[in-house]
Amino acid sequence: MSRIAATFERLAESEEGAYIPYVCCGDRGVGFTGELVRRLSRAGADVIELGLPFSDPMADGPTIQAAMVRSLSSGFRVAKLFDLISQARSDGVDTPIVVMTYYNPILRMGLDTFCKRLAEAGADGILPVDLPVEESGDLERIASAHELDVIRLVSPTTDDERMAQILQSANGFVYAVSISGVTGQRDSLPHSAIALLKRLREKSGLPVALGFGISNQEQVRQAMAAGASGVVEGSALINIYARGLGDEDGALDLVEEHARGMKDSARAARQRPG
Amino acid sequence: MSAKGYFGGFGGFYVPEVLVASLKELEREYQRISRTAEFEAELQSMLKDYAGRPTPLYYARSLSDRVGGARIFLKREDLAHTGSHKINNAIGQALLAKRMGRSRVICETGAGQHGVATATACALLDLECEVYMGETDVERQRLNCYRMNLLGAKINVVKSGSRTLKDSINEAMRDYAATSEDTHYLLGSIVGPHPYPTIVRDFQSVIGVETKEQMARMTGGLPDALVACVGGGSNSIGLFHPFIDDEQVQMFGAEAAGDGIETGKHCASVVVGEEGVLHGSRTLILQDDDGQVSETSSVAAGLDYPAVGPEHAHLSTSNRAKYFGVTDQEAVLAFHLLSEAEGIIPALESAHAIHLATKIAREFSKDQSIVVCLSGRGDKDVAQIAKLEGRL
Repeated sequence: MSRIAATFERLAESEEGAYIPYVCCGDRGVGFTGELVRRLSRAGADVIELGLPFSDPMADGPTIQAAMVRSLSSGFRVAKLFDLISQARSDGVDTPIVVMTYYNPILRMGLDTFCKRLAEAGADGILPVDLPVEESGDLERIASAHELDVIRLVSPTTDDERMAQILQSANGFVYAVSISGVTGQRDSLPHSAIALLKRLREKSGLPVALGFGISNQEQVRQAMAAGASGVVEGSALINIYARGLGDEDGALDLVEEHARGMKDSARAARQRPG
Repeated sequence: MSAKGYFGGFGGFYVPEVLVASLKELEREYQRISRTAEFEAELQSMLKDYAGRPTPLYYARSLSDRVGGARIFLKREDLAHTGSHKINNAIGQALLAKRMGRSRVICETGAGQHGVATATACALLDLECEVYMGETDVERQRLNCYRMNLLGAKINVVKSGSRTLKDSINEAMRDYAATSEDTHYLLGSIVGPHPYPTIVRDFQSVIGVETKEQMARMTGGLPDALVACVGGGSNSIGLFHPFIDDEQVQMFGAEAAGDGIETGKHCASVVVGEEGVLHGSRTLILQDDDGQVSETSSVAAGLDYPAVGPEHAHLSTSNRAKYFGVTDQEAVLAFHLLSEAEGIIPALESAHAIHLATKIAREFSKDQSIVVCLSGRGDKDVAQIAKLEGRL
């Protein structure tokens, strides 16, 4: 069983929701990303998504775009992603790690080399943002050979027939996109998210993580109540550490404290009767 | 082309899941609507009565004499309404949007020609119009910005990335992902995910279809060669496509070599790009070793794009068409040459094609003929060139 599957199994047994933070690699420096990963793991993150910066992030809103630009303009290279994961593993971080990336950097390195290096570094899954099920045969085959889960995205506009097709090739967990649009912090959970979670619950036995727009504990409770197995949070974390800049430790403390609160909500939400 | 929108090994459908449903609907609706006699009749009547088609095919005697060699014919897309070939696709897609029940149209623009054409079609068909345009392009194409405003369009200035065409496409895609229920994304070139490369090519093929008829009338046969500039590649594919099966017709694409290919400041994605995925399409891209898309440079904003339509990638790798880089300096010389020789001021984009055509014409004999797509007129570029030459 993959580390991701084992994590969700454990969470299901203890009736906990998963908290999945997203971190943009190399924003504020690779060292800062490494420290973020350690802090998030310590705060109880169940899976960590590592975002690989890309020059043309079509699916991302302004916050993550800006983080990617900062990372790339400070000299981030793809090779540092593998180093970062290896380092986290040798530092004792055993939280499952999923790499969220656009397809071109994978294609450029070569699917086999990319997956091999990811697996060797200690990653558990890969989430290709712009690779729909129609185009993903090669990556699925190669990722599976390296025992990497391919995480699939499902959106509110994904119809039933397509959802079935996507779920068939999904493993690890399913990433439910809360809204038709791009990443970015939003205050409440849109109706489209609730409806999508209901449909996914009826169709799939896989754990479902809800992402895009997640930033507060109330949303976590709403998502869990609507049937999510967990939540993904990205832009909001970037906004939080942006507030503490100038004091790196302070910024990390803010993120860790916030993450603990989010995890507490995810834990409690699923334990409520009914 | 396969069902998935592939041209050989290029093209396809590399988009975030949120865009899939809208693009599939667009594909379905395009297949349904564009095949109806009613749509075809409306499109033809608008192209004729509104856009001024067919555009002339003009034998440029003076230019041909100066160059020496093959006879050079100009396909006068610069004489189409709004001053470039962009109107062909804008009208086609705006009609499609209307019939799909959309009330709002968004588009990207580089030089501003596609933005102006889209704003025009939207004004005519009473559609709300928003144009994404990079900050860098807004600065170098002020006149076109004002034209779009006159036509009732709103310009959204894009300040992300390199602030040019590629970033405008990213922003338009983001908008479309959130708004596709009431919005049509009117993409202006043969780039992007399926079905765009096919839709835009179909609407631009009128250029080549007319050229074929006009050549037959004027010379009694086919041209020996076709030349067009290639940014994303819409005017060139429009000219080339109806001739693809006529194997004796050679095809040449002029890419922007900017300061020179060797300087790295250019956008010659077919000439030196490598396979990758950008804006939803597998194609040839200017990129670094990590797969990050390169910043590009050209005196012609409309060519300033780091990739190329997948059909051109296929035409190049299958050796059906050949592509060459033309530098800024060569394009500016051709801009002057055509103005002086023929009294036609070409768009800087089209000036790249003129330069390449003069080179090729010299290698051909006097009884051979070359058609150059004069994709746009140069009024928009006059201020920029005057400034460049210190006359303004």
